[in-house]
Amino acid sequence: MSTAVSPAPAQAPQPEDGSSQSRSRLGQLPATVLRALLTQRIVLLLVLLLVVVVTMTTLSSNNYLAAPYDLSYMSSALISAVPLVMLGLAELLVITSGRGGIDLSVGAIVSLTSMVFGFAYGEWGWSLWLAILLAAAFGGLCGAVNGFLIAYVGYPALITTLATYYAFSSIAIVINDQQPISTAPIQDFFSTARSIEVPVGDGLPIPLGTLTFLIPIAIVVWVLLNRTTFGRRLYGIGTNDVAAQWAGIDVRRTRFSAYVLAGVISGLVAVVTVAQFASARPDAGVTGTGMALPAITIAVLGGVAITGGIGRVAGVVLATLLIVWLNAGILLAVPGNAGSQYQLLALGVVLVFAALLNGLTNRRYGRTG
Amino acid sequence: MSSSTLTPAGGAPAGEGEHTAQARGRVLPFPITGQEIVLIAVIVALWIALWLGTPAFLTSGSIVPLLVAMAPVALIGIGMTVIIITGGIDVSVASMVMVCAVVVAKAMVDSGVSLPVAVLLSMALGGVLGLVNGVLIAYGRVHAIIITFGTANLFKFVGLQVFGGSTVNGIPDTLDVFGRGADGRTLGVPHSFLLMLVIAALAWYYLRHTPSGRHLYAIGGDADAARLAGVKVQRRVLSAYVLTGLLTGLAACFVIAQGTSTLAPNVGAGMELSAIAAVVIGGTSIMGGRGSVLGTVLGALLVQTVASGVTQLGWRSQLASLFIGIFILIAVGADLLRQRARRTA
Repeated sequence: MSTAVSPAPAQAPQPEDGSSQSRSRLGQLPATVLRALLTQRIVLLLVLLLVVVVTMTTLSSNNYLAAPYDLSYMSSALISAVPLVMLGLAELLVITSGRGGIDLSVGAIVSLTSMVFGFAYGEWGWSLWLAILLAAAFGGLCGAVNGFLIAYVGYPALITTLATYYAFSSIAIVINDQQPISTAPIQDFFSTARSIEVPVGDGLPIPLGTLTFLIPIAIVVWVLLNRTTFGRRLYGIGTNDVAAQWAGIDVRRTRFSAYVLAGVISGLVAVVTVAQFASARPDAGVTGTGMALPAITIAVLGGVAITGGIGRVAGVVLATLLIVWLNAGILLAVPGNAGSQYQLLALGVVLVFAALLNGLTNRRYGRTG
Repeated sequence: MSSSTLTPAGGAPAGEGEHTAQARGRVLPFPITGQEIVLIAVIVALWIALWLGTPAFLTSGSIVPLLVAMAPVALIGIGMTVIIITGGIDVSVASMVMVCAVVVAKAMVDSGVSLPVAVLLSMALGGVLGLVNGVLIAYGRVHAIIITFGTANLFKFVGLQVFGGSTVNGIPDTLDVFGRGADGRTLGVPHSFLLMLVIAALAWYYLRHTPSGRHLYAIGGDADAARLAGVKVQRRVLSAYVLTGLLTGLAACFVIAQGTSTLAPNVGAGMELSAIAAVVIGGTSIMGGRGSVLGTVLGALLVQTVASGVTQLGWRSQLASLFIGIFILIAVGADLLRQRARRTA
């Protein structure tokens, strides 16, 4: 967070005339830029994003890529950003709540809630709105299990969510005998995952999920964190929960709420994944590496401090855009199976690089965001 | 069931010779903790229940595969215990298993390397990967979970590159001494299990009775205090990750030996979580500074008992993870209760 930035670097005050002062400021410019790059994660992410987009566009215009890397390709790639941003924000909430906060169970909550949503909308014939509400509520319930154990009983978050990861993913598979639900209403629901044309230029295909889920959730989380007492309290307990306790904050309840909110967001991600697959799959959130690890990666890359108390919505969104557009470019540069392998490489390199940079910055400039 | 057995067992050591027990207790904890006694009781209870449910359970045809199957997870768990005691964690072990397994499998198929070479190759490779983690964590001074999430992706990339988009077929039976078959047993005891026990005993002695082993606990308790007391924190932390790499390399050999003659790219998937589950069920504190190898071995045994018990009862195999989740919560909950009791006492 910007509040942690210390006063200007130690520079002898120069009571000279205006010209020399402006010259010294000019001389300081590289240092200021470097400092901004290193301490302001948003600035770093913006620069990296620019590098990725410019590189890819250049490669594209020189015909190195399998297909043109243009605005319409970039905007249709946003479909994979929808679950990533949402789960990244869920991790932002729980990691910021401090005391080793983390949620490994988000992918399992997505799987289980997918099945519940599938039952409600696909088999019991509930209306769409009611089913979405149920998904959010059920996700919140799963999050409440985590939150209760962590905030009120005092379990370590890593262990609790590891245990509930096992439990939720097991129930999700057993609940419908390992069968996905893909009845007619669920299959028709796929239409909501399509792209709509927005009248910018000659019509950009924007994935509908971006408008219906990603942007509203991002705005809600931003408002929660920056414009409500809950947000102030969350940063408070994440920075120092003993001090927060003495300041009269209900630490347990605030931390509990963070996990419930993460659950609600995961429940909504379940709706998005059902729409994307046109079927409610019992392993939706846990196949391959699962959804939790990429979400945590995105959060950390976005500048969320794993020790709690530091993290911004814009960081998570920019980190996701960086990864999604980088991945989209890699798929064009290295087509086929190898492409997805290079995506792993890119994700790993970017994460390790960002983490090392964090360590370096902490030593050089103190704790910053 | 945990709290009832807990009290008499946990209270036992205080009975005999108050003085000596206390004096020893100040230097070293009692060799077996309450958690481990509870675990043994739970495992015995489960085995009896399973034996009543399916009489075939307590036969060598069912116990031997169980012991073979738990060996790799326990082996990785031993390394993970050492790391978690220092206050770290390693979520990249599954990717390490994959890299080691595919390289060794390819070496055996392509150039027919012998058993010692295969094992050494696997352990050396694992050691190098552990070194990468250790250097980044100890000298980059970044939280272990972040670095190992990153390296998990990197290692997976390397492994998939070696796989080259297909499976490794026709793996020779070089490593069968660690497998489930008759070659893998002496007097009915599987070699992989025995080797794991020997390594566990060595690790137990190292952690309990050598200065550098005690330093690991000191680092987990308070790294700054340990540094001020003269512990070479960075070097110790680095060694913990290298050790885990070596053990993971050996575990990869077990995994190859247990599998068929075909190795698929999903080898090792999920092993990081099973290893961490075994460690925490064994009573090692995820906050660092407290834990034992004995608990981890028991934890791995419990996890594997649940897994094979569920299949033997003819239930859905995925139900096993539900029970593992519940066991993790019970184990950690019991530990929390004991800590609270100790603090108020």
